[in-house]
Amino acid sequence: MKGDQMKFGHRSRGYSYILPSMVFIVIIFMIPLTYTVVMSFLRWNLLRPDLGIRAAGFSNYVRLFTDPFTLDTVGRTFYFVLGAVLIELIAGLCIALALDTEFKGWKIVQSVLLVPFMIAPVVVGYVWRFVLNSDYGPIIHLFRQIGLGGLVEKPLLSNPSAAMPVLIVADAWEYIPFVTLVLLAGLKAIPYEPYEAAFVDGASSLQRFYYITLPLLRPSILVAVVIRTLTSLRVFDIVFIMTGGGPGTASETLAFYGYRTAFQSYNVGFSSAINMLTFAIAVVFTILYMKIIGGGKKYV
Amino acid sequence: MRNRFLLFLVVLLTVSCFAVPLQLSSEVGIHTDAWKTRMEGFTNETGIEVEIQQFPYANYLDQLMLGYTSGRVEIDVPYISMLWYPALSIANYIYPISDIPGYEKIDESDIPGIRNAKLNGKTYIVPYMNELGGIIYRKDLFEDPTEKTNFIAKYGYELQPPQTLEQYRDIAEFFNRPPDLYGVTLMGRRSIFLATHFMQRLWAKGGALLDLNMRPIFNSEAGIEALEEVKYMFQFANPAAMNYDFQEALNEFISGRSAMAEVWTTGMFYVEDESRSSVVGRGGFVGFPRPEEKLGEKLPMLYISWGFSVSSAAPDKEAALEWLLYVTDTQNEVEAAPTGNIPARFSALNSPALAESFPWIGDFAAAMENCIPTPIVPLIPEGGSIVSGIIAPAVSEFLAGTKTAEQALNDAVKEVDRLMRDGGYY
Repeated sequence: MKGDQMKFGHRSRGYSYILPSMVFIVIIFMIPLTYTVVMSFLRWNLLRPDLGIRAAGFSNYVRLFTDPFTLDTVGRTFYFVLGAVLIELIAGLCIALALDTEFKGWKIVQSVLLVPFMIAPVVVGYVWRFVLNSDYGPIIHLFRQIGLGGLVEKPLLSNPSAAMPVLIVADAWEYIPFVTLVLLAGLKAIPYEPYEAAFVDGASSLQRFYYITLPLLRPSILVAVVIRTLTSLRVFDIVFIMTGGGPGTASETLAFYGYRTAFQSYNVGFSSAINMLTFAIAVVFTILYMKIIGGGKKYV
Repeated sequence: MRNRFLLFLVVLLTVSCFAVPLQLSSEVGIHTDAWKTRMEGFTNETGIEVEIQQFPYANYLDQLMLGYTSGRVEIDVPYISMLWYPALSIANYIYPISDIPGYEKIDESDIPGIRNAKLNGKTYIVPYMNELGGIIYRKDLFEDPTEKTNFIAKYGYELQPPQTLEQYRDIAEFFNRPPDLYGVTLMGRRSIFLATHFMQRLWAKGGALLDLNMRPIFNSEAGIEALEEVKYMFQFANPAAMNYDFQEALNEFISGRSAMAEVWTTGMFYVEDESRSSVVGRGGFVGFPRPEEKLGEKLPMLYISWGFSVSSAAPDKEAALEWLLYVTDTQNEVEAAPTGNIPARFSALNSPALAESFPWIGDFAAAMENCIPTPIVPLIPEGGSIVSGIIAPAVSEFLAGTKTAEQALNDAVKEVDRLMRDGGYY
């Protein structure tokens, strides 16, 4: 009996410790989420208050999943997310490995590397618009100087097949430093002993990387990939600034579609359904990553 | 001592209750700067204090809508785009100004485009700034004797600001000498700006967006021709123009890199701005051309207007009307205009004092008199969604080559049809 009371006391004390954070989570996360879920089942247009707020049942979702435009937009969003995260991961890992040795000026390099990440995405969008301007943009000028002007004769941001890759590059430019920092922190945390043992066993540097570095870096890779996937799914600023979703619909992502529905059509119900779809995709991605990269272990 | 202090507090509270300033709101922009110069004079003349809240254009409407929806807005006189008032009036967020006693003192017959400000016979917005979509052109190039000679030799008629679509095409081709000079500057970025190029041509060719039953009809022959004409003109524009918005288009024109720019009248302020324009004093304005066979007809032309409305929740609507009467008075419009406004009243446009400041104003007034000022979006709550959310992407898809003109317009018509059904129009 006394033991049960003690157990209960321990447990309730434990709950009291996590209570503040639970309250915080409910206020910050659960209330808006619930509100969005509810709105996604409503027919509510801010421009037509005369029509009132009406129950829509599943009609917003039916429209969402039967409209071919949604499928195209999801496809474009996946293209963006996979492209951006892959480039950021590979480049970030390479740079992190290169920086994993202390050398003179290490801190300066690290600080310089952070600059793109410190810039607001809106500014990044404008910088890249300037850089790619077909009149005076340095990249276009460079292409012309090396005799590849033909490739950029049609402005990249107005070219339906080039607009999305360009957005991916701009996004990668901004977030490679973030991935690098996360992976660098992971590399610093790997103990030296496994490398010593491998060295004694005659493992090559490639084998050391593949059998020691990569497995021990998994938690950091998982963190970087999950965070970047979730933020890439919500990409809006650079799309808005650089292409406005165009040309045509070539660079329209789910977040932009949601914005357009919410703030051009003021269709709150349908926009909420789009946001719920984005949320569902984010959850699926996270679970997949945790299974694939995390190997079923609880890292987060 | 304590009693005196209490008395002082009571007096202060009473005074503050009675002297609530009239709350104005607006975007951040040059025509707002113009009427802001009248605020002090208004207070001096009427004793009514006024305060202003300004928001960036990009989120001004969002702020208004969210504020009104939540009932937290404390704005008496919102200065708004003509395009916004249908949604605000249907929701009863703004009040029919013509119902305020004393409204008859506002001379409506002097304001072109006022019919657009009325819903069910009631006026909801009093225009303060009026402008038209048209062409800004380089007068120096058009008046250059060598250019004139060369033009007549090539095309067989005299070089002059384009009156017809055929002339517009010829002139754009004639002056297209890349990379130093382009024939015309257009706005190809997927936005409402791009939609203006299509709408102007659609109207010029006798087409329309919706029929009388509010059904979309812009996938007509006129619509297809209009869309193809937009694409045709882009060959005389800088390739970079495919991603231009209004500001970038103006920048190109005022840096002297194009002979014409298809924008709207406000562009003339930028042309005359000595701090950034290299073509000061060399710009002219002409209304949008039409097909040759329609010369002399009054046709719809892109009409952009901002004006004053009154919130339904405004506690003192008479004070709001006082402000409207004062600020839209001809003399006040003329005096405020040089700060950056194109007055709405004909009497102000035709004022000799204004012609001195704006030598081009006569051409604008003439264009205004010879057209049917037509807002770019239909004046219904869904208007903005139709043009920005459906027409602009359709035009952009055609320009990008991902759809044919017919496909792009047919798909857009289907979307508009669904929107109108959802809105209960049929």
